[in-house]
Amino acid sequence: MRKRAAAFAALASLSVLAAGWEMGVQAGVLNPSTASATAATPSAPSAGPSAAATQPTASAAPSAAAAPAAGTFTGAVVQTQFGDVQVAVTIAGGKIADVAPLLLTDRDGKSVNISNRAAPILRDEVLSAQSANVQNVGGATYTSSGYVQSLQSALDAAGF
Amino acid sequence: MPPGSKPFSDPGSAGGPAITFESMGTVVSLRMGDGDAHDGTGTRELRRMAGAAAEAAFRRWDERFSLYRRDSELSRVARGDIRLTEASATLRDCYMLALGWRDRTDGVFTPHRADGVVDLSGVVKGLAIAETGEILAGLGLAGWSINAGGDILVDGRPAPEVDWVVGIVDPMDRGEVLAGVPLAGPLRAVATSGSAERGEHIWTPAPGAASPYLQVSVFAADIVTADVLATAIVAGGEKTLNDSTGRWPIEVLAVLRDGELLATPGLRRPAS
Repeated sequence: MRKRAAAFAALASLSVLAAGWEMGVQAGVLNPSTASATAATPSAPSAGPSAAATQPTASAAPSAAAAPAAGTFTGAVVQTQFGDVQVAVTIAGGKIADVAPLLLTDRDGKSVNISNRAAPILRDEVLSAQSANVQNVGGATYTSSGYVQSLQSALDAAGF
Repeated sequence: MPPGSKPFSDPGSAGGPAITFESMGTVVSLRMGDGDAHDGTGTRELRRMAGAAAEAAFRRWDERFSLYRRDSELSRVARGDIRLTEASATLRDCYMLALGWRDRTDGVFTPHRADGVVDLSGVVKGLAIAETGEILAGLGLAGWSINAGGDILVDGRPAPEVDWVVGIVDPMDRGEVLAGVPLAGPLRAVATSGSAERGEHIWTPAPGAASPYLQVSVFAADIVTADVLATAIVAGGEKTLNDSTGRWPIEVLAVLRDGELLATPGLRRPAS
């Protein structure tokens, strides 16, 4: 519970951080990360296999140098009385569209990556590439005899 | 051909069927995409060599660590024929690695069976997959995938502009796929644990308590981390799930007993 309390306390300070972020832009603190369709692009060590990695949106294209910055920006790690905090800010149309916390550190010094929390999701909300492109099937281990009936054996026989 | 090992298919022509062989009670599928090499026969020979080397690597790990083989080194340790301190450096290193994961998962992942026997099956398959990856890279191959019983490690791309995509099977209908996830970023490995096909083989910390999860898939940068954390999350439930997503750069897709899904943000379909 202490961890949760620390997380909420740190969240409460986000408005301050967001203001700090605006100054941070001028100070060059922010490192633009690749534009992403999701609001909370994880910071480098926690970047996930999201489709965004392979399908960068055009919103942060280098050619748009004259246009206002758009995309998701990862802020520097800021030390607060509640622990280390890092946020990602999504800019769209010159406005802050979303602020997502990436990193919180509780008083025990243990980092709490709350942006990566697994949350309930509907089946049609899950990342789902075209099934025709699937080369491998992951699933709880099949036995040698179970392999024959598995999707994997069909894929293996078909090649790709 | 070693005993207990039979090919399901031959290494075909370039871009043809996967190379498959039996090991560790399951089937290993190797795919080698176009990679850098396109020259017909030389590539075919290289693929054949890679398949043989991969099969030999899996056999080495299985012969040393299988508790189903009476003559394996680990079986001899289990019977007390040899002490752990007298065991090979490979076995002791593997045990230390598993103990490290026990500590990092607060004891949820453990290399000790309930009866006290040292069981390293939680890390051995991952280590065999990882070593196979090193062997393929050492042969100069790029753009491959290794799938051992549903645990997958990939390198590069299967073809230019094409991602390796893994379909995660639906534990409630194993002919269906829940998600199609490109292994294109830094997370090149995925492992899945569950109770769907091999029964309740994962020990839960509370005796008799069933896992809240039918199936847990973990995407990580390396296959051992993916495999260990998938096992730990099934065993440790929600607390281990939240601890793990907070502590490691991973993505997780979990299927609850009623079929509902939990997913980390990276597995969410981008809003269109």
